[in-house]
Amino acid sequence: MQNINDVVEILLVEDNPNDVEMALRAFKKNKLANSIFVVEDGEEALNFIFTKGKFAERAEKNLPKMILLDLKLPKVDGLEVLREIKGNEETKIIPVVVLTSSKEESDIVESYKLGVNSYIVKPVDFDKFVNTVKDLGFYWLLLNERPY
Amino acid sequence: MKYRILLVSLFLFVFSFDTFAHQPEIDKQNTLKSDTITIGSEPDYPPYCMVDENGNAVGFSLDLFKAAAAAVDLKVNVKIGVWNRIKQDLAEGRLDALPLVGRTPEREEIFDFTMPYLSMHGAVFVREGTKGINSVEDLKNKEVAVMEGDNAEEFVRRKNISNKIITTKTFEEAFRNLASGQYDAVITHRVMGINLLKKMGIESVKPLDFQIQEFRQDFCFAVQEGNSALLSRLNEGLSIIIANDTYEKIRLKWFGPAVKEGMTAKEIARITVYVFIPLFLIMSVIWIFVLRREVKRRTKSLEEEISRHKNTLEQLRKQKLLLNEMEKISKVGGWEYDVQTGVINWTEGMYNIYGLKRDEYEPSDYRKNTDFYYPEYKKQIIQSFANTLETGKPYDLQAKLKSADNEEKWVRLRGRPEVVNGEVVRVYGNLLDVTEMKLINDEIKERGERISLLLNSTAEGIYGIDLEGRCTFCNTSALELLGFDDKNQVIGKNMHDLIHHTRADGTEYPESECRIFQAFKAGEGTHADDEVMWKSDGTSFQAEYFSYPIRQDGEIIGCVVTFWDITQRKEDEEELKNLKDDLERQVEERTAELQDKVEKLNKSQKAMLYMVEDLNSITAELQEERRKLELSNKELEAFAYSVSHDLRAPLRAINGFSGFLMEDYADKLDKEGKRQLSVIRQNAEKMDALIADILNLSRISRAEINFTEVDMYSLAKSKFDEIATDEEKQEFEFSISELPPAVGDENLLGQLWQNLIGNALKYSSKSENKRIEIGYRENSDKVIYYIKDEGAGFNPKYKDKLFGVFQRLHRDNEFEGTGVGLAVVQRVVHRHGGEIWADGELNKGATFYFSMRRSDKSSNS
Repeated sequence: MQNINDVVEILLVEDNPNDVEMALRAFKKNKLANSIFVVEDGEEALNFIFTKGKFAERAEKNLPKMILLDLKLPKVDGLEVLREIKGNEETKIIPVVVLTSSKEESDIVESYKLGVNSYIVKPVDFDKFVNTVKDLGFYWLLLNERPY
Repeated sequence: MKYRILLVSLFLFVFSFDTFAHQPEIDKQNTLKSDTITIGSEPDYPPYCMVDENGNAVGFSLDLFKAAAAAVDLKVNVKIGVWNRIKQDLAEGRLDALPLVGRTPEREEIFDFTMPYLSMHGAVFVREGTKGINSVEDLKNKEVAVMEGDNAEEFVRRKNISNKIITTKTFEEAFRNLASGQYDAVITHRVMGINLLKKMGIESVKPLDFQIQEFRQDFCFAVQEGNSALLSRLNEGLSIIIANDTYEKIRLKWFGPAVKEGMTAKEIARITVYVFIPLFLIMSVIWIFVLRREVKRRTKSLEEEISRHKNTLEQLRKQKLLLNEMEKISKVGGWEYDVQTGVINWTEGMYNIYGLKRDEYEPSDYRKNTDFYYPEYKKQIIQSFANTLETGKPYDLQAKLKSADNEEKWVRLRGRPEVVNGEVVRVYGNLLDVTEMKLINDEIKERGERISLLLNSTAEGIYGIDLEGRCTFCNTSALELLGFDDKNQVIGKNMHDLIHHTRADGTEYPESECRIFQAFKAGEGTHADDEVMWKSDGTSFQAEYFSYPIRQDGEIIGCVVTFWDITQRKEDEEELKNLKDDLERQVEERTAELQDKVEKLNKSQKAMLYMVEDLNSITAELQEERRKLELSNKELEAFAYSVSHDLRAPLRAINGFSGFLMEDYADKLDKEGKRQLSVIRQNAEKMDALIADILNLSRISRAEINFTEVDMYSLAKSKFDEIATDEEKQEFEFSISELPPAVGDENLLGQLWQNLIGNALKYSSKSENKRIEIGYRENSDKVIYYIKDEGAGFNPKYKDKLFGVFQRLHRDNEFEGTGVGLAVVQRVVHRHGGEIWADGELNKGATFYFSMRRSDKSSNS
């Protein structure tokens, strides 16, 4: 269903399929679901962003408009992915919103240090989550024009 | 040669001159010890020495000796003995002299001889009719008998006259044997032999006519070798009897008639021809010669005499000069007074002392001489002199005079009388100028007095002792200290026995150990202050003394002892010593105490060290615990992380998908189905809340505290504003005091207020009185904050459970809650070092108190 060369507006990095489903449902409710590309671990996320591995064929310039990044990921964890994205001149302009089930301060602090743009604790209450996603989409995708 | 036969008389003359000439010297040089002498006489040398019918010693020599001895006042005892015996006795001193001894070279060594008074020639006696012996040489092979020890024996042996010499004890024996046909010849003196034969009545033995020329014998008196006194006297006696014809009388008595009578006409003629004529001629010649020699000798002797006199005079002159000089130097003069004539003679020294000139003053007026003296002495001198003349006793005075040349002099006058037959005939004396000596004596006396004054004015006792330890002097202080009244009780006494005989402890103090005496025994000063001295009343006192040897011309003659009573000083010393001992004891005690303390301190220090060690080990243990704690904190963190992520994900899914089910299949669920779904969702949310609270509690426990000063008023108020809903703000009466600030972590304290205020709101929600009061109390070191409501309260019996995790006193359907809020509050308070407690009653509200350390600022406000 996803084509690697489609224009991707939102890259969702999430390993938990339930959370992916709920996220997509939330995006869908906010009419944002068409341009979402989902990868399930940090490695894939990096490959996607830096067009490596199975995403080597993907057009480099086709960068997502927003990245939703879970921190607890298999292989390469979210903070590492964040560091790579924010450490690269090309990719650091992409807004990254950290999604996490934890309010652990160390994570939050570390994320902001690495240049995260927003931080969302995944709520148990799905309705709250939908509202949050709505706010996110509105802000980062619609209001916050990219500089180029 | 024949003249020698009668040389006897010649020698007598020669020796008599000589003897007279030397007589004064003999007198001068020799004095005889005894006036009675013992001589020995032979019994069988007629007619010189023999015994008469009565056994008395008689003979020419004996008479001569007695006469000579009588002339010089010698008494003579005669002992009779054979020749050898008496010869031996004289040699060994048992006899004083022998009257008849032939002078031979051998005897010169044993005896001294007087001048010879008789000279005899030897003759060869043979039996009548013997032929063939015409000279001495003819005796060579003949048996010749001589008396043993006689000079005849000496002669025959000396000259080796015969090969066959036989000796007999006496000449009598020899002649008897010869007469009876033994021997060929007997040799002895002619005169003696003839006399002996006659006496024995032997006519068959005759002397041969020829003379034995070399057997001439001079006879003398002999004395022991060296007895020159007796020798001189005997010589003198001999000279006298020769001079006064006694000799001639004795000779005539023994020889004159007897010889003449016994002589034949032929013999007389022969003697006249052979002896007297030549003798007369020779004597004349010798007489002239001797006279000339004598004149010459006497002249020389006179010259010598004159020379001697001159010498003597010269010596006298010199001696007089010497005397004068000596008198001048020693300022002495000598005098003599002749009692009969009244003449007084002075030496030069006398004139010098009186300041007179010899030719201007005549000293014979005794009284005038005394005018030089001061009257008080003059009288004394005259009296003494008169006394000497009367009693014959000497005098010795000292007097003062004024000399003619006006000099005052002190003199010593001494006179000594010469007494003859109880009469004073002369007085000798001298006069000694003692002015200088007197001055010296006066000074010595004065010095003595000064020293005595000095001695007596010192407080120390001073006394002197001689080498025997006897007191020689002592001063007044010594007497006083020793308790004597008078010096005489001490002077001359043995001081050790008197005052130093016993030691302080009552034991005897032997003189040999006395330290005072050691001063002169050792020759150096001694000192002691630990002895006692004894007073006359038998008591003693502690004394200190110095004893120093006194030296005179380098010799130690005694010592001087200085001493004083130190009883008081000793007592003071004793007291001082006691004080000192006391002090020392105290010091010792203190020192011991101090040492004790120091020891205890050391022990404490050790204990401290052990404690420090323990602390160190505890610290190590604590560090280990802390490390473990940190480890477990990390684990807890990891756990919390895991819980927050992994436990919530399923909750999210449960809740989310329950919602999807409700949304997507609402039409297919009935009412009960919807209710059950909603229960699922509520529980999921509740579990999420529990997890969140647990994580929160865990975070508070682990969080680092950032201490700052916290404005508690503003914090509490803002929390109320933050958590109270608008409705609640209207319903509740909220009062808050001006809380003092606290030192703590603002986030944690915010959490604290939030939970407490939240609780107050929650538990008052169903009460009529909705009132919340926040206030404080404070004391010196802490502030107690409290929050009071009038809500549901609690049963005080469970108040211990209020702060336990998940401990709830209300059911969920009464008041919702997880049971973690107060646990969080307690944890925050504890982490700030404070305490928390609560008062309350069921349905009547509750008050929560917590204490915080005061901040400086809070104490100011």
